[in-house]
Order: sequence, then structure tokens, then C-alpha cells
Amino acid sequence: MTAALRPRPAHSPLMVLGTLGIVAALSVLTSVMLGSVPLSPGEVRAVFLGQGSDLARMLILDLRLPRTLAAFATGGLLAVAGALMQVLLRNPLADPYVLGISGGAAVGALLAMISGLGLAWVSGSAFAGALLSTLIVFGLAHGTGSWTPTRLLLTGVVVAAGWGAVITFLLAVRPSPELPGMLYWLMGDLAHARGNALPWLTLFVIIALALPLGRSLNVLARGPLQAAVLGVPVRRLEWTVYLLAALVTAVAVTTAGTIGFVGLIIPHMLRLVIGNDQRLLLPASALAGGILLTLADTLARTIIAPEQLPVGVITAMLGVPVFLFLLYRSRT
Amino acid sequence: MTAGAEGSGSGSGPAPAGARAPRRPVPWPALVLWLCLPFAQAGASERGIVVVDDRGRSVELAEPAQRIVSLAPHLTELLFAVGAADRLVATVAHADFPAAAREIPRIGTATQLDLERLMAARPDLIIAWDSGSPRAPLERLEHLGLTIYYSEPSDFGGIGKDLRRLGRLTGSDDLAERAAKDFEDAIDALRARYADRPPVTIFYQVWDQPLMTVNDAHLIGEAIRLCGGRNVFGHLEVLVPRPGRETVLAADPEAIVSGGPGEDRPDWLEPWEHWTGLTAVRRDNLFFIPPSLIQRHTPRIAEGTRMLCEALETARSRRGPETPP
Repeated sequence: MTAALRPRPAHSPLMVLGTLGIVAALSVLTSVMLGSVPLSPGEVRAVFLGQGSDLARMLILDLRLPRTLAAFATGGLLAVAGALMQVLLRNPLADPYVLGISGGAAVGALLAMISGLGLAWVSGSAFAGALLSTLIVFGLAHGTGSWTPTRLLLTGVVVAAGWGAVITFLLAVRPSPELPGMLYWLMGDLAHARGNALPWLTLFVIIALALPLGRSLNVLARGPLQAAVLGVPVRRLEWTVYLLAALVTAVAVTTAGTIGFVGLIIPHMLRLVIGNDQRLLLPASALAGGILLTLADTLARTIIAPEQLPVGVITAMLGVPVFLFLLYRSRT
Repeated sequence: MTAGAEGSGSGSGPAPAGARAPRRPVPWPALVLWLCLPFAQAGASERGIVVVDDRGRSVELAEPAQRIVSLAPHLTELLFAVGAADRLVATVAHADFPAAAREIPRIGTATQLDLERLMAARPDLIIAWDSGSPRAPLERLEHLGLTIYYSEPSDFGGIGKDLRRLGRLTGSDDLAERAAKDFEDAIDALRARYADRPPVTIFYQVWDQPLMTVNDAHLIGEAIRLCGGRNVFGHLEVLVPRPGRETVLAADPEAIVSGGPGEDRPDWLEPWEHWTGLTAVRRDNLFFIPPSLIQRHTPRIAEGTRMLCEALETARSRRGPETPP
């Protein structure tokens, strides 16, 4: 186990969360200010004071703000899910999608699209697919015999591969007119996200549920044996964490499709900076994930406007250099 | 609906607690007027413009559209055809015909819209492509109260219908009627001349890798029938099937007609020439029709169909006296 994975009280929690909170507010503000139609800061302020032209009001209140809020919540959810998965599987490569949840959601969404059902059905079907995948993995890994995170990981990875094959099969046999939309959904696209309280609600609930588990999670992160010795009910804790992470991922995927990289890199990044205390790491992940995705989505919809980039491209382009820098620095 | 919302909003405000509300006479005349409001509105919409779009929804405008946004290249062409070009305020990438369409501001591509620029264009009518335009953003626009006409001209009749309806929505019924009539006359003339000619089996190639074609339900399938052709993959269920090369060889079409990625003859047709056993290759029946003339659902498809009919006629002329059809 490397130094980076050991809890280390390097920074005061208040300072970390305060700084992240300020940056989060700035990122949301930036996202609302920028768009393919230029609005002056004065116009934006006027809208928030309840004035401003009809057009400015519509652009900000109906388009930018709902999308920005959806982006922030989705980013937060993915980062929290990633952090939980990494503790659960004790594998640095774990991300929210590693256990096949996004694959199940994509198959659900794709089936609904092919059947020509409405948008509400696509979201519902994606959510059902994610839950189905969760239950399949849960049931199979739970099975008989000994249970280990390795077994859960292997089950999840194979189920994910199965979903991948189903997606390719469906796209091959039923090339539907929805195909371009579907591809953007597979790459992650916040253009489809609508003003919806569910991601935010989930984000708050998950933080509230996971924080009391923080101390046990810290012990679990060091290995199940130590945890068992220290009196942590390992099996029950692991299944709780799995189900929480799965639910969070399902909500994120249903909101914005499969946005890669946020869930993998944000928890690692924070561990390198603030240490591996889950009580601080989880809320910090929520904020940092929200910041990254909000900024990435702002760039995705403005760089080559009027066209848009898949937001996953930007999260990777922003995240990779920062992460590599932190990783490099942490060795010295 | 608006009337109801206003009525409940202003009619019964909460009485201040404890205060005894003075008994006021019931405002009968106002009440009667309020009850009549829905009928008055229905009357107003009858005087405005109402057309049914290709989704079966009725689209209402108080007056002819003044600021139109078109969300697909072929819809832009249709709007030009009915003489509404001067009121087109925005369209999407690849709307390149007629040449003047290139000057119209862009708000994204047919599959990806920039909603901000779309709203900033302040459209009073959006013409969307039912099977191509992205659904989620459009639903949001509808929710915001924008008027959307969904178009899906899936056969020759549909093009004439859409021309007339677009003419109605843009207040140029006469021009639209003329455009629709010209188009229908051209198609009828081709049908009269070619539909009953001896059948020619044909493979229509939409794309090269993967190999893509169309079935009989597609507009190009209809064009093939109209020219007296028989589509070798017409019976397939999928609108745009992807047959293997082997299946094409086995079907041995008498003619291979290809579109292309651009307006010039593609090199897609060359690989077929290796199979000298193919009837189409032996008789040199490999033809190209510019995709913009036959793959876009616009009046120009009459021109593309004429080229297709002539290609099949050429194929007929290359039959030897003893060769079977």
C-alpha cells in the first residue's frame, strides 16, 4: 500500500471543503456566464435580479442553469461512486462503470429508443437496466462459497463485457434514426439532461448516508482482515457500499449517459492532495467532481459552437495532465 | 387553458384571516364572459393557420411565420421551394442548396442543435425532421412554448403534402401549390413512361463500408418501382439494410446504382468490376446518381428519379436479343 492511500491529516477539513466550495460556486457562475450566445455580465446579473430581456431569461433560466446544475450533480455523483468503488474493490482502477452498471443502463436506453418510446421511457428504462445489472452482479458474486472483492470485480467486469456485446449487437442489427443521439448518450451528453431534482437529492442523501460509515470505510480501505479484527462487520459494510455506489451510478448514468473519467480520477486526485480519510474524501469528491464536470461541459458546449463535443473528451483532457502532474509530484 | 389559470389566480385570492369579507354581488356578466373565453379562443384559432404535421399533431399560427428555423438540409430546400427563403433566419450544417442557403446562419447540425443560438434567432416557427432531429432538445423547446412542425416526407406524395403545408404556414399557398403541382406532374410523367417497362433487377448502394442499401418502403425504393425496376433487397424489413457483398453477388442484379459521399462518382463502383461474372458488370450497368438528387426528400428528387429511370432504360437497351430479362 502506497503512502498516498494511507489516511493523513494534512489539511484541515474546513479549509479543504471551504476552498472547494468557493471554486464550485465560481465554476457554476462561469458555466452560466458562458454560452454560444454571448451575454454580458450585466445581463446575467439582471436575470438573477429578476429583470433582463426575455431572451436572456430564457437562455439562462431555461437552458444554462438546468444544464449546469445537472452537470454539477452528475459530476459529484460519479466522483462519490468512484471513491466508494475504489474502497470496496481495493483496486485503483475501479470506477463507477467497472461493474457493468453503465452497460445495463445503455442497453435499457437503447431498447427504449429502438421501440420508439418517449424520453421519459428512455430514462426509466436506463435506470431499470442499471438496477438489473446491479442485481445480476450482486446475485452472482453473492452466490455460494467464499466471497472476495476480486470475485465481485471479475463478475462485474464480465457482466460489463456482456452488456457491451449486446450494445454492439443492437446497434448492428437495428441501425435506427436515433443512432447519432444514441452514440452521444454512450459517450455522455448533458444536452439531454433536464432540470431535475433527482441527482441533487441523491447526492445529498448519499453523503448523509456515507459519512457515518466513514470511519469503518477508512479501516476497510486498509484491508478486510484488519477491519474484521477491529470489529467492523466487513461483509455487511461491503454490500452496503456496493448498493449505494450502484444506485448513485444509476442516477448519474440516467441523467447524462456514460461520462468517463470523472469517477476514476477525482478520488485519486484528492487522495494525493488531502489523504485517504473517507470522511473528508467523500464530500470533497462530490464538490471536485461537480467542478470538473461543470467546467468540462462549459467547454464542450462553447469550444466549437454551434456544434458540441462529447463532454467525456474534455473531462479526460482536463483531468489527465492534472492527475499525471500530481502523481509525478507525489513520488518525490 | 390560459383562461382557467388566470381565473383561479385572480378570482379567489385568500381572504385576510379574521377579517369578515363583505358580501359582494356575484359579478355575473364577468363570469359569463369568462365562461365564454375558451370558445372565443377556439374561434380565434380557426381564423389563424392550422395544419396537421407528419406526426399528426396540429400546428397553429396566428399569422404566417416570419422567422423560420429549419433543422435539416432537405427542409431548407423545401422552404426555398415554397418561396419562404427570405424568412429563414437559421438552419443547420450542410444546408447547401440552393446556393443562397449557404448564407443562412447555422445553429448546429441536423443531429445536434445549439439551443442557445436557436433561441437567440427568435423563431416563430421551427421546421424539424421527425426521424432525424434530436428529440430531447425539441421537447424542451416545445415546453418553452415554441411552435414546431415535424416533417417526414417518406414518399413522393409526402413531398407534395409537405410543400403545401409549409406554404400554408408561411403564407405562400400559391407558390407552394405551383411547386407541389410541378413536382407531382414530373413524377406522374415518369411513372406513366417507365413504370410498366420490362423489370430490371437493381442493387442501390447508399454507402460502401459498410455496404448499405434501401428496402421497398424507402423513398428510393419507391423511385425504383416507378422506373420499372425491382430492388433485389426490397423485401427486407429494415429500411436501410446492410447486406454482405456475398449476398449482392448471389442476387446478381442487372444494374448497380450508387450514391456517394459527395457529388462526384465515387470509387465505390470499381470493386464490383472485379466480379466479371456479375450481370451488371458484364453489361457495364454500373451507374452513379448524385446523392443530393435522390437521397434528399425534396422536389429535386424528380430529377434524380429521371436519372434513375434513364439508367434502367440504358440497362434494358444493353440486353442482347437472346438474353433473358
